[in-house]
Amino acid sequence: MSIVRAPGVLSGGPHGRLRAVAAPIATGVLGLSAATMLHLVDPNQPGHYPTCPFLALTGLYCPGCGSLRAMHDLTTLDLAGAWSMNPLTVLAVPYLLAAWVLWLRRELTGQPRRWIAPAWVPPVVGVLTVGFWVLRNLPGFGFLGPA
Amino acid sequence: MSSPYPPPPQQPYSPQPGYGQTPPPNTYLAQAIASTLLCCLPAGIVGIVYASQVTSKWQMGDFAGARDSSDKAKMWSIISIVAGLLVGVAYLFLMGGLASVSYSR
Repeated sequence: MSIVRAPGVLSGGPHGRLRAVAAPIATGVLGLSAATMLHLVDPNQPGHYPTCPFLALTGLYCPGCGSLRAMHDLTTLDLAGAWSMNPLTVLAVPYLLAAWVLWLRRELTGQPRRWIAPAWVPPVVGVLTVGFWVLRNLPGFGFLGPA
Repeated sequence: MSSPYPPPPQQPYSPQPGYGQTPPPNTYLAQAIASTLLCCLPAGIVGIVYASQVTSKWQMGDFAGARDSSDKAKMWSIISIVAGLLVGVAYLFLMGGLASVSYSR
């Protein structure tokens, strides 16, 4: 099977490969730094991180409210705590990690993207996000909120 | 299956990579999700809509249209990053300003 290589990678030789890998590596270092900071500087303590602007302006939770606390809980392997803060974040993290691994592998091998999500995936993500946004602000669905 | 979405086609979703076939475009769905959860909800939602366009156009065989939507999704992921940086910098300035006020007392 013939693979069409990204032109920069092929023409750039080993240096092109190195340059291609720089972006996913930098993103990985950034993500790891953020996870370390979230582990050490606890977002459950007030004043450590800015309040969500949407929550500050409207008094309502957005789909991302509690995501920092959820990620902090994930760094302590407290899955139940993370889920109670923001289930959407708990679902998103494995997807984001997988997307990063595939990106790194593409840049390492110089192979083009092979996989695209099935057509139903992004709309379902959108419906889940908006539904979660509305529900977590309704009485009776307090368990979806980060409070 | 009574799903609100059209049934999956019998063919594989994307053509196998090979001679003369274009690789599928980036949906930027990961960036849109991260943006929605971490900083920039409106830009993230726009990104999810464009990601939906990319996958549906690609599945229908509209490769040029899918690439066009992918470019727009990319633009919105860049807007998210810039907006996130701006919010972060503004917050740091605000906190710095408050800190200096409390110091001067």
